[in-house]
Amino acid sequence: MTSAVPVSLHSISKSFAGIPVLRNIDFDVRSGEVHALLGENGAGKSTLIKIIAGVHAPDSGTIRLGETTYTAVSPKEARRGGVATVYQELLLFPELTVAENVFLGNAPPNKAGMLDWTAMRRGARQLLDSLDSPDLDVDAKVGTLSVANRQRVEIAKALSQDAKVLIMDEPTAALADADIRRLIAVVKRLRDRGVGIIYVSHKLPEIFELADRVTVLRDGALIGTRPIGEVTEQTLVSMMVGREIDHLFPRGEPNIGEVLLRVDHLGFGARVRDISFELHKGEILGLAGLVGSGRTELALTIFGITPATSGTITLDGQPVTISSPKQARNLGIAYVPEDRGLQGLVRPMTIAQNNSMASLHNVARGIFINVATELKRGADSITKLGIRARGPDQVVGQLSGGNQQKVVLGKWLETAPRILIMDEPTRGIDVGAKAEIHALMSRLAGDGMAILMISSELPEILGMSDRVLVMHGGRLMATIDRADATPETVGAAMTQASAHEVAA
Amino acid sequence: MTASRFLRHETILAVLVVIALIVLGAQSDKFFTLDNLLNQGRLMTEVGLIAIVMTFVIITGGIDLSVGSILGLSAILLGVFWKNLGLPLELAIFLALCVGTLAGFVNGIIITRFRFPPLIATLGTLALYRGMAEGISQARSVRGYPDWFYILGQGQSFGIPTQLWLLVFVAIVAAIILGTTTWGRATYAIGSNETAARFSGLRVDWVKIAIYSASGFAAALAAVIFVSRVSTTRSDMGTGIELDAITAVVLGGTSIFGGKGTIVGTMLGLILIQALKNGLSLAGVKSDGTIVLIGAVLILTILVSNVIYRGGTR
Amino acid sequence: MSVEAAPSLRPQRGALTRFVSAYGQEVVIACAIVLLFAVVSAINPRFLAPNNLNTIVSGNAYIAVAAIGMAMVIITGHIDVSVGALIGVLATISGTIAVSGAPVWLAWVVPIFVGMGVNAIVGALIAYGRIPSIVVTLGMLSILRGGLVSVTGGAWINNLPPEFLLAQQRLLGVPVPVWFMIILTIGAFLWMRYTAFGRSLYAIGGNAEAARAAGIPIERRIVQVFMIHGAFAGLATILFATQLKIIQSTVPPNLELTIITAAVIGGVSILGGTGTVIGSTLAAILFSAIGSALIFINVSAYWLRAVIGALILVTVLADMLRRNREMQGAGR
Repeated sequence: MTSAVPVSLHSISKSFAGIPVLRNIDFDVRSGEVHALLGENGAGKSTLIKIIAGVHAPDSGTIRLGETTYTAVSPKEARRGGVATVYQELLLFPELTVAENVFLGNAPPNKAGMLDWTAMRRGARQLLDSLDSPDLDVDAKVGTLSVANRQRVEIAKALSQDAKVLIMDEPTAALADADIRRLIAVVKRLRDRGVGIIYVSHKLPEIFELADRVTVLRDGALIGTRPIGEVTEQTLVSMMVGREIDHLFPRGEPNIGEVLLRVDHLGFGARVRDISFELHKGEILGLAGLVGSGRTELALTIFGITPATSGTITLDGQPVTISSPKQARNLGIAYVPEDRGLQGLVRPMTIAQNNSMASLHNVARGIFINVATELKRGADSITKLGIRARGPDQVVGQLSGGNQQKVVLGKWLETAPRILIMDEPTRGIDVGAKAEIHALMSRLAGDGMAILMISSELPEILGMSDRVLVMHGGRLMATIDRADATPETVGAAMTQASAHEVAA
Repeated sequence: MTASRFLRHETILAVLVVIALIVLGAQSDKFFTLDNLLNQGRLMTEVGLIAIVMTFVIITGGIDLSVGSILGLSAILLGVFWKNLGLPLELAIFLALCVGTLAGFVNGIIITRFRFPPLIATLGTLALYRGMAEGISQARSVRGYPDWFYILGQGQSFGIPTQLWLLVFVAIVAAIILGTTTWGRATYAIGSNETAARFSGLRVDWVKIAIYSASGFAAALAAVIFVSRVSTTRSDMGTGIELDAITAVVLGGTSIFGGKGTIVGTMLGLILIQALKNGLSLAGVKSDGTIVLIGAVLILTILVSNVIYRGGTR
Repeated sequence: MSVEAAPSLRPQRGALTRFVSAYGQEVVIACAIVLLFAVVSAINPRFLAPNNLNTIVSGNAYIAVAAIGMAMVIITGHIDVSVGALIGVLATISGTIAVSGAPVWLAWVVPIFVGMGVNAIVGALIAYGRIPSIVVTLGMLSILRGGLVSVTGGAWINNLPPEFLLAQQRLLGVPVPVWFMIILTIGAFLWMRYTAFGRSLYAIGGNAEAARAAGIPIERRIVQVFMIHGAFAGLATILFATQLKIIQSTVPPNLELTIITAAVIGGVSILGGTGTVIGSTLAAILFSAIGSALIFINVSAYWLRAVIGALILVTVLADMLRRNREMQGAGR
């Protein structure tokens, strides 16, 4: 019945807005194996699984589901072909019960066209029991469940559709240790049942525990597919991050001054715990860690979005309290956020208007905005940052990702900050703009600005940072000097912590 | 939001207004008489004042359904302060304005501090404030105000109805604030992307509270003029005026999702509505028949501008 | 997290806990009604007189019926501010048919279909014209209200045939409106809970993107739900129009807001995706009980709306606090 290779992709390519995100990818998954898909953020993993799930259509190449070959599949065809996906952002309905969520879309109706309530509840019960979750109440509203339990509901939903292939997108990113162990047990059980599993994760220890084969993507290209026995953690890391790091990053001789920002035992709930570090003038301090390690949360706490619940922040030797972004701004702290579209830009507004958003006092006399000044400053930012746009009155939503990022950066430079926090400063932008932003960061640091740079890209961390902080589980795990920072040392600090939890 | 696109809806509307005026003028000699036009301005003022501030509210992505009730409550309290408590009328007016502002402030607090959706918050206070007006007044009306008070609602200054001066003044001030000041910029930014506005260090909650307070103030001001115009206070004053004001604002091109809209558009929307009401009734159409047309115009204008907007940008 | 880490140790929650957690708002309102009756009848026993109970329950039955449709609309994440005007129009149509000498059942049935037709247009403008529901229904409010008055000229309809007055009749000793209210509420509740169609409304309101991914035809559903809402408006009209021997060309002011309020107090979240029609019916009963209670404890009925307004704010606040707690308990 089930073919040995339920999904295979041949020579798949895909671009978004002219930027290639996948190039000539061959990929397959066999029944009863766990095939890990690995790569840094932006490597193309999400796009690849979305093509299999039918969310995106590839530009070229073919997709084979069972015995049928497609040039593109629809979500329905994917489902009928036995592909089910558990996304990172779970697609559940919080107000419906567990049983209803499991069977939504493929409910077994009875003769009267009504939902067969008893059958649904019993079916959900059986599925959950088979997932080793007898404690999960089928009548509970999904909104009241923990993330781990919601995930089990998603998996049950996938199984109810008789999936031959289950795609799991970073399933452990938001889970606590005990839940990770349970999830791994569930995945093994599914594999033994003959389901093919595509397992996307950053966490190497999990992959070594689970995977039969592993495929690494980098910058949209297939780096290789290997049986797990043929690789080590080192080989995987170097496959993921590559080696051609150095010349891309124009970090000159740093000119590091006195301590500007000092953070002592800073905490925010359970997300940021007991963080202490110093940031010097003219320094670029890299902040590395896996997704969910608390890097962004730390930045939000320093910036006053989620004010600290414990610890102290000292600026220029003076203790300060920061309880709103406005206060942070007035103290000379700027934050270029992770999510440009949501947190950084007002997309329907113009470049000039976005440029002045955090520094309206610069372009206003009293409460009145001087449009001429605003446009001039907008034009200045365009020149200074090399933003490719028709002019300061162009709407920001029309710009490319790299240019949008420059607008956000320009907005914060307008406030003349002394401390610049950059969260994933080059995520999702093309190589040229990346290099320009890196050059700019070097220049700003050279002028004495203190920069805290959060990044998931190891080459970026290694190429740009004067020192590297590594976080895990909300805590600071290591501080590594530039001289000692290599993919191996930083990668080890990032993964060692997770090695403990899985091996335990 | 370049100037040309920004004004596109207003342009459609302006053309509509001109066409309406020409057609209506042709239907009746009385339409283009000074007396008639001024009188229409008089009738437009109360909705106009409320609609102007409602423009700000809707641009932030909110809505204020309680304005009609605030109008009623302020009107009732004006009468109570003056007649029952024996305060000087000037002071009673001042206090009524304070009450209206406070009522709006409470809306703002409920929305920002307790994170209520504006629709629910003001639906609740709609009932609450109207109920207070009814409870306090017990359906009794207050009449017999001193003559000078009627200048506001029934008199003229320099040949123009007094309240029309006020409306024009408020419209100009509001247009300046929305179009040229940092407050106006914050209003648009909040409506377009509240998170980004917060991340840029704008005082989002503060701006919203100020706008809802202003909305309450405008309703109270409309109440004072209303009382002066009709010479009496009743607890049902202003019932349904919130929907008239919202209609004018939305007709004026303000997006109900926030982030987009102008005072000019709102004023054009108001004028179009009032012109239709008046002109058609002069032309012999029963006055209630005209609001059918207003409803149809509202839906059609948005539909047309939806089609153009989508065709033009995406 | 530790709770989940210990499998099988936690017993299944009891049926009662589960019921209260699933129907929190409904339980709260039911308790409020019971409490109100207890307190008021202690102060003034005449409150429990059959006549008064009858007034309380059957007088607002049409609001309860209209609120069922409104609840469905709000659950899908939309709103309708034109329903009051629609009921006014349908009442006039119904009355006109009744006095024209046509069979009485026609006067009862036609409003239902006209309501569905009008709201099919509304739904289509929202779903396919992509106009926000509040704008469409605001426009429709003007059209219906103005159309009604300009056609009738504000005249009342008199001389309604006695057999037309359904709301004054009784079946098995119970007023017909009460039958309508109970049957429609239970029917709609079961339909929304146990059919795929009903569940899809929750799905659309809760997470439209996920609903689309699950293959639910969102546009068609929106049109359908507005049509159903129109049918309920027609049914409400029958109860409203047959209460008295005359039909006025106006409806109680702010009727649409009263209907929305009943739905919201009944636990339907204005953000869509949650709530049941049992809550909205209980809320409609609560309104008229409060109105009646004010009279019996000698508080002027003019305070009624203030009480209802405070009630909206308190119930929504309580609901939000409860949700926050659940989220915190579940999240992390």
